[in-house]
Amino acid sequence: MKHYPETFKISSALLFLIALASCTTTTIDEFRQAETGIENNESVVILGRRQASDYETRSEFVDCVGERMTRGDGAISIVPEQEFVDAMFPWFEPRTAPLRTRDLERLMTEDVVADRMTEFGIRYIVWLDGFTETTDRSGSISCTVGPGGAGCFGFGSWEDDANFDARVWDVGSLSNVGTISTDATGQSYLPALVIPIPLIARVEANACSRLATQLKEFVNGS
Amino acid sequence: MMAGLGTRVLAVLAAISLSACGVNNVVVQGSFPTPNISPLPLSVAVFYDPALTEFAYIEYSETGTEEYNIASGQSHVELFNAVLPAMFDEVVVVGSLEEAEMLGVDAIFAPLIEEFQLALPSKTKLDVYEVWIKYNMRLMAADGEYIADWVLTSYGKTPTESMRSAESAINDAAVVALRDLASSFSLSFTQVPEVRDWLNTL
Repeated sequence: MKHYPETFKISSALLFLIALASCTTTTIDEFRQAETGIENNESVVILGRRQASDYETRSEFVDCVGERMTRGDGAISIVPEQEFVDAMFPWFEPRTAPLRTRDLERLMTEDVVADRMTEFGIRYIVWLDGFTETTDRSGSISCTVGPGGAGCFGFGSWEDDANFDARVWDVGSLSNVGTISTDATGQSYLPALVIPIPLIARVEANACSRLATQLKEFVNGS
Repeated sequence: MMAGLGTRVLAVLAAISLSACGVNNVVVQGSFPTPNISPLPLSVAVFYDPALTEFAYIEYSETGTEEYNIASGQSHVELFNAVLPAMFDEVVVVGSLEEAEMLGVDAIFAPLIEEFQLALPSKTKLDVYEVWIKYNMRLMAADGEYIADWVLTSYGKTPTESMRSAESAINDAAVVALRDLASSFSLSFTQVPEVRDWLNTL
């Protein structure tokens, strides 16, 4: 009976270490090519790149970045991606969307496109491109159900790596004004001692949060 | 009493297991915006062939059993009904080519699906569902003579997600492919050589 407090301490320490280990490391790189700034009546649209054959930028991540940019100090007016793409149809579909600012310049010669851009008050278009990859899966967990009850035993772990680039186009000057890259990595663990305890590294959520903060500052010119 | 209950439970379990082995039906549903383009000053009759309106594709598993039945005919009709009025000044949907010929329109448009392909993550080992569709677009004069007959392909994909069913992902990929068709058809119509030549004669 005397061993229980010690076992509890060791278990707590182990869980604390694992919880620490499941933290996420996020790196942000900013490359500015021109001065930026935004007026109160202007807005930003964030669009996901979907031209790659083996992945596509998830709309949930695009929504997450947009939603976070509308919060806090220096909040920015964001036009929802789907609303913008539908209103601009068929000019911003995966096959027809401008890949370079030169293409945007050509696109803006279409009166319909220029009028819609003005209606939305778009000052910047942010192109998000990237995905989250899960690697280094290891360990195994087995679960059993019997007349006396059920339980799982084992240990699993994996690493998530989220890589996203945000290219910022100025619709006023029809030029690329900068690129912000984010790289977030984190190790997740799933120990199971009767009950599985997921210790998940919030890699994509952290990448979203940091990228949104950096983008907000970039667009505001601070 | 207990034997009767047992039989019923067994019957329900058998029905569940049988339904689990059956084909998964996907009726493609989505919303298609109207294109922002300048309409051509033409009156066009549209004939939806039953081969298009009733189009369904069956994907077979590796063991040869029917895995997915994807019905996309009606969604194609909805798509063309949204796109064509933005492309031409006047659009009339007709029930037959003969009816269209009697209307005295500038042209008759009759699209067909030639091929439909589905790529599942379980087979491609990629984290995306993909849909590829090949169309035969036919444009005829009021007397039924061919003006142009060309092939158009469309492609759509959607990523795998943990809380989304395969049926929902297939539907989303098909909707992306349909939007791709709408964008490439509406933007490239006047660039089809035969169509361009015909437009120059008007």
